[in-house]
Amino acid sequence: MMTVIIGGSGSGKSAYAEEYTITHSEGKKMYYLATMQVYDEEGQRKVERHRELRKGKGFFTVEQPRSLCEAAELFGAEEKTVLLECMSNLVANEMFFTEPPKPAYEAAETVVKEVELLKEAVSHLVVVTNNVFEDGIPYDETTTAYMWALGSVNEKLAAAAEEVIEVVVGIPVFLKKGE
Amino acid sequence: MDLIIGGYAQGKLNYVLGKYHLEQSAVWDKTIPKEELRDGTRVVVNRFHEWIKERMQNGGVLEEELSGFLDRCPDCIIISDEVGNGIVPLEAFDREYRERLGKILIMLAGRAKEVERVVCGIGQKIK
Repeated sequence: MMTVIIGGSGSGKSAYAEEYTITHSEGKKMYYLATMQVYDEEGQRKVERHRELRKGKGFFTVEQPRSLCEAAELFGAEEKTVLLECMSNLVANEMFFTEPPKPAYEAAETVVKEVELLKEAVSHLVVVTNNVFEDGIPYDETTTAYMWALGSVNEKLAAAAEEVIEVVVGIPVFLKKGE
Repeated sequence: MDLIIGGYAQGKLNYVLGKYHLEQSAVWDKTIPKEELRDGTRVVVNRFHEWIKERMQNGGVLEEELSGFLDRCPDCIIISDEVGNGIVPLEAFDREYRERLGKILIMLAGRAKEVERVVCGIGQKIK
């Protein structure tokens, strides 16, 4: 099963996704798959803040900024729920890992394929993704390509997911509801 | 307190004035009443996000000022833009503003009796 949780910056999506994962884990082992690549102090603070939020909640953290399939090898054989945070980082890492950046469609295709494989390897995959699409500001070509890639990934994952939830000021709004 | 959120130019203020049968005179734009209001009218705080930004820029004690206001006007209506649905801004202040406003709106949503999101003038009740 797959759930997609989307929200903007500061929407409370991370806190909600953790709560959701815990509630739906049914006692299975929970992994937190962190995709953020740390470049500076602000990034480090963000990682620490999120770590603090997760503390004592029973998540096993695996850091995997690219190549999700490698993470699957680190998991134990038991039934498991995986919280993957966040798609916006994963897509950026996949696209900008090489110089020049990968074409958007190629990065999007790779990420979608990896998520599908990961989904098969676990009982329940919860994917957190970001709404970066509504500020109305025209960006440069590279940023626009990145936005396209993330949008395309979101669209494909949402289609494959049983449940899609948007988080707005900390409140879940169900866009697609599983049985 | 009721919280009304939505993107820029979605008709939030018109929606609120219509829904609550209020006049423009009830509206506090980009600011909050600093003192208790004695006439008993319902207070609408419009463009709440601009007040947050202004207080951040001028070193305000935001959470304190806000909680004082909520104690004085427990049945107010707060209207705010949602600003988090975009690309991470380059400027550190802009990033901090988005995060801070987001946290404050989550707190307000938690305390609110009703939360509505307005899209093209139509309210969607989410709490």
